[in-house]
Amino acid sequence: MSDSEFAYGSSLSLDSMKVIAESVGIANLGDDAAKELADDVSYRLKVIVQDAMKFMHHSKRQKLSITDIDHALNMKNIEAQYGFIQSDSLPFRFASGGGRELHFVEEKEIDLSEILSAPPPKVPLGVSVRAHWLSVDGVQPTVPENPPPLCKEAQKLESVDPISKLSKPSNEDAAGKPMCGKAARLKASESVHVKQLATHELSVEQQLYYKEITETCVGSDEIRRVEALQSLACDPGLHEMLPRMCTFISEGVKVNVVQNNLALLIYLMRMVKALLDNQSLYLEKYLHELIPAVSTCIVSRQLCLRPEMDNHWALRDFAARLMAQICKTFNTSTNNLQTRVTRLFAKALQCPSQTNNESGVGPSMASMKESEKTPLASLYGAVQGLAELGSEVIKVFILPRVRWLGERVEGALSGIGGADRLAAGNLKQQLLKVLAPVVRQLRQPPDLPDEYKRDYGYLGPSLQQMVSKLRSSPSGSGGSGTAVAVVTCTPPLVPASAPPVSSMHVSKPETVATRNVVIASPAPHSPAPATPPPQKFVIVASQQKPPQAQPSSGTGHIVVHSSQPAIVRSQNVQSVVVTSGPNAGAAPQKVVVVGMPPQTPASQPGAVSQAPVSVVAKPVFARGTPQPPHQPPPELDDLSHLA
Amino acid sequence: MGDKSTPLLAVLQLLRKYNLKDTEEILRKEASLGNVEYENLDLPEVEIASILTAHHTESDPYSYEVAYDSLRKFVENSLDIYKHELSTLLYPVFVHMYLLLILYDHNEHAAVFLEKFAPEQENYYQEDLKKLAIVKHKDQIKGNEIAEIYSTNKFIVQMSRDASSQLKRYLHEQKNSTVIINIINNHIQIDVHDGPGRTLAQVRATAGGLLGEATKNENRIKVYYGLLKEPDIQVLPAPVEDEEEVEETPDKPKKKKAKKDNIFMKKPKSDPNAPPNDRIPFPELKEADKLEKGKALREAAKRVSLGPDTLPSICFYTLLNSGHTAISADICDDSTLLAVGFNNSTIKVWTLTPVRLRGMKSADKLQDIDREAGDVLVRMMEEKDRDTCRTLFGHSGPVYKVCFDPFKTFLLSCSEDSTVRLWSLQCWTCLVVYRGHVWPVWDVRWSPHGHYFVSSGHDRTARLWATDHHQPLRIFAGHLSDVDCVQFHPNSNYVATGSSDRTVRLWDCSTGAQVRLMTGHKSTIFTVAFSMCGRWLASGGASGELMVWDLSVGAVAATLPPSHTAPIHALAFSRDGTVLCSGSLDCNIKLWDFTAITDEATGEEPGSNNGPKEDKYLLRSFPTKNSPIKCLHFTRRNLLLAVGTYEGSS
Repeated sequence: MSDSEFAYGSSLSLDSMKVIAESVGIANLGDDAAKELADDVSYRLKVIVQDAMKFMHHSKRQKLSITDIDHALNMKNIEAQYGFIQSDSLPFRFASGGGRELHFVEEKEIDLSEILSAPPPKVPLGVSVRAHWLSVDGVQPTVPENPPPLCKEAQKLESVDPISKLSKPSNEDAAGKPMCGKAARLKASESVHVKQLATHELSVEQQLYYKEITETCVGSDEIRRVEALQSLACDPGLHEMLPRMCTFISEGVKVNVVQNNLALLIYLMRMVKALLDNQSLYLEKYLHELIPAVSTCIVSRQLCLRPEMDNHWALRDFAARLMAQICKTFNTSTNNLQTRVTRLFAKALQCPSQTNNESGVGPSMASMKESEKTPLASLYGAVQGLAELGSEVIKVFILPRVRWLGERVEGALSGIGGADRLAAGNLKQQLLKVLAPVVRQLRQPPDLPDEYKRDYGYLGPSLQQMVSKLRSSPSGSGGSGTAVAVVTCTPPLVPASAPPVSSMHVSKPETVATRNVVIASPAPHSPAPATPPPQKFVIVASQQKPPQAQPSSGTGHIVVHSSQPAIVRSQNVQSVVVTSGPNAGAAPQKVVVVGMPPQTPASQPGAVSQAPVSVVAKPVFARGTPQPPHQPPPELDDLSHLA
Repeated sequence: MGDKSTPLLAVLQLLRKYNLKDTEEILRKEASLGNVEYENLDLPEVEIASILTAHHTESDPYSYEVAYDSLRKFVENSLDIYKHELSTLLYPVFVHMYLLLILYDHNEHAAVFLEKFAPEQENYYQEDLKKLAIVKHKDQIKGNEIAEIYSTNKFIVQMSRDASSQLKRYLHEQKNSTVIINIINNHIQIDVHDGPGRTLAQVRATAGGLLGEATKNENRIKVYYGLLKEPDIQVLPAPVEDEEEVEETPDKPKKKKAKKDNIFMKKPKSDPNAPPNDRIPFPELKEADKLEKGKALREAAKRVSLGPDTLPSICFYTLLNSGHTAISADICDDSTLLAVGFNNSTIKVWTLTPVRLRGMKSADKLQDIDREAGDVLVRMMEEKDRDTCRTLFGHSGPVYKVCFDPFKTFLLSCSEDSTVRLWSLQCWTCLVVYRGHVWPVWDVRWSPHGHYFVSSGHDRTARLWATDHHQPLRIFAGHLSDVDCVQFHPNSNYVATGSSDRTVRLWDCSTGAQVRLMTGHKSTIFTVAFSMCGRWLASGGASGELMVWDLSVGAVAATLPPSHTAPIHALAFSRDGTVLCSGSLDCNIKLWDFTAITDEATGEEPGSNNGPKEDKYLLRSFPTKNSPIKCLHFTRRNLLLAVGTYEGSS
């Protein structure tokens, strides 16, 4: 309305008129005729749209619909345009080429027989009435039917930019909040404007709720606990109690870890999970309390009174999943959350030889001692925590240390002490489970036990068995199999963390198809199926030919594929583009460039033909040559790609 | 022929009008005008006059820009006390210059003129300018709604005597350009008032109508805004009051009740502003209606009194799975039934209490009932409990409004199919189809005393009906555009209408005359509501603006601060008249302190209260979960009921 930029006399273009004329069989429409037509048609169209707006308003809508146009035509005694029922808005597609630009509506051909044979569509639900209290004596209750008092966006804004709250008028604040009695009077006297920010008072009801919920969550009645957790996960308007909830969890973990109270720790972790699942909460402000608590439950050396009996492994698994969920949800480029979490776990896995190499003598001695002492349970937690972060992380942080881990396991298994032996067994199982899909991706068959033994040490043979079992299993064929493997990494217990794998599969291959693309098939013995699932490819180009004789075509670029996150690393490659892994589906994509000196002879896998022209940065995953086992793992600071 | 054709045609039409056939022939021959032009001879009267007076100067397209520019300079350079009143002249002059340019076939010049000066017109005129900008050719003026309104009506500008003499002097100086003088003479009516020039705020308060402001004379007639004396139904147990009523009412049917006889039984205080009770004839109250009234009074005794400190509770009825299909909703007076009109032509009625909806027994079963029995009303209904929801079929277009009668026996609905239908809530069938409107009917409302109802629609009229007549009793014509909403005055003597021409008008039911014309709204008016005392009228517009009018003088009482961001489609006054409640498509319900508003308005000169204290009017705002508000209703005990449609979580 106040838009003075409005163009007062817009009109259809002559070109459109000509195009339309062509479509109805009039080949040469003169310019004059086209102009007359354009003016007249724009006039009539605008009049009709104006009238249609009346119908829109009286239908109490703010979006014009096709029926409005029909009614407007009706009013002018023009027959309505039948057959244009569209419930949603119909977007214009745009195409250009040859200097011409075209907007068009996409019309798909519909196969009638398909419709006939399809099951009948569901009958739409009938209209029903539901009543709730929008306000009770002027106070809006925080029930699910009402909008949350502070929407998630606002919470997010507040945690990012706390100043914004100060500039907001106080009136806004009071909108949904109870303002009765004293508060109202205070407000009237204009004395609480600044104070309001600092006070964090909970109403009596909220205090009761907090008490009830916290007691129930750690109480003994499982049914009530489920209800309480349900409430935490679903109720809007908990944000005012959030600081207290988080402190409760954090303090609870501190106390119960010392007391080795496994059950309570599990309950607290379930609370974390419920809070994470609540759609109306934004937890970022409270991560400093939650992350230490959760990571404690992952890597703490002892979580229960009888390590040989109790199943603290489940807690570690669960907490690791939570951590992955937190990383996925709250990771931003400023907080580098995932990098920091990864570093935390990786530290636990630091093997002595490496620390020697990396740092000076003094600290290395200490850290060697430390890591030698790292209890197996902590190692297990660290492995689990890393594994949840995706296969890329597994490849970079677990795989290089597998030899050393194997030694630890071997030592513990041969040693005495039931608890240690049990822990070692679990760790071994876990390592095998986590590593097998990754190794299957990295290595080419045949899988020789000797090679595995050489590359992976003690765990080699078992890993080889695992890998060949995976390869022979039906799901483990072709590239799609790996995707499945990734999916299984994501815990089935966490419904909120739906893996973005599906989105990868629907991605269109044709965007890349115009380029010279070569697919490196990782599994020659299982040829790609006739109709492979759509996949994405990253094409990486290099500038120089490698000195080594390349078996296939000899350029130094890598053609990579598979839906598995990985770091592309090759000796010859100057620049590699890797995009984020599946666990970063929602997070902003990052590109990492890894430069490697040409040192080890490379065995370029698959067929690589021509030099592709461009590098496509897409949410796809790259895979390079199998990593020579002796290559040191990358520096931790290279981790930015995990973000 | 180009420029010449328009004046020639005008001359030709003039000749035809005075039946000068020979001259017409000669002219036709000389100008070589064929018969083809013959049909085009239907320029409006005013146009002919303006064309004939000035065609030789006005055919120069460049003179317009110069003339407008000079007028604008004159306004800018005039004294501050005149400036604001004079500036209201700019818009109509601008519009008519544009239309004249089009009329003289200077289409490019017209476009340039529009492009140059349109952005500096007032915000609230931009919507109209957009519509006007569509007209780009002479032929399009005829048949275009807004262009016709402007060319056939005079734009009204109010001015103080001093300002108008300033203007006269200016026009006198402009001898060489007659463009502005002609436009002012032909298209603008200057309403001169004595007293000082108005301030910017005062001018803005009443500006905004499609044709400018209302003239002073239009609001002179006395309006009896007081309430009728209610038939005195005591707050007593039902049987007692029934006896009393039976005694009271067996006078002449169809005639007014003999109120004078038992006036001593009523409250001695009688409202001096109230109309005589017999000004509008009402049918005699039926037995069942009296029961209903008694119930209402007893309920009213338990009413919570509201105020800024005691806000009402709101019960929100959400229509689930309705998407965009549910259009209108209404809750009956005793808050037991909810009716919803859908865009698929159906109407659904829900019961809001555990009492189910029952139908009447079939005719042969009804015959068996003893008519003298005391509980005949109960006996004639079906014994079995029926549904919680019933659907009424009959319309053939979206149902834009549903409305319960005060006694809960009938339901009215209006629709795009240009009919109003009366439904029985006992048989659950359609009883009458009222045809009369020619275009879609936007709104329909019952009289608070039943029997009468009023409808309004796209045909720019509002019509008053009685349920027992198939034709309208009155047609209220005068609005320049769609009549978007109507409302009966609480005393049933007046009807208020709100329209797309951005005016609110008040019509007298007994004479059919327009008694108030109130301008000041800046956008289409979608809902109007009378205060409980009958003196105030609240209206809500398309841009979320909310205004309160004083009917006693016909002026703005208050313009509430802009708070809603989407059209307001529901307004309700609390039963004690202290809280005004507005519901909008922006999913917000807002409560306004109506006592403060009226206090302010009665304390001050109307139209000048744009003070900074206005934000205190807003008591509270309640957002709903993505559910635009379709209907608001206060129960007799002052509980607020709201109806909205949930539109998904997106």
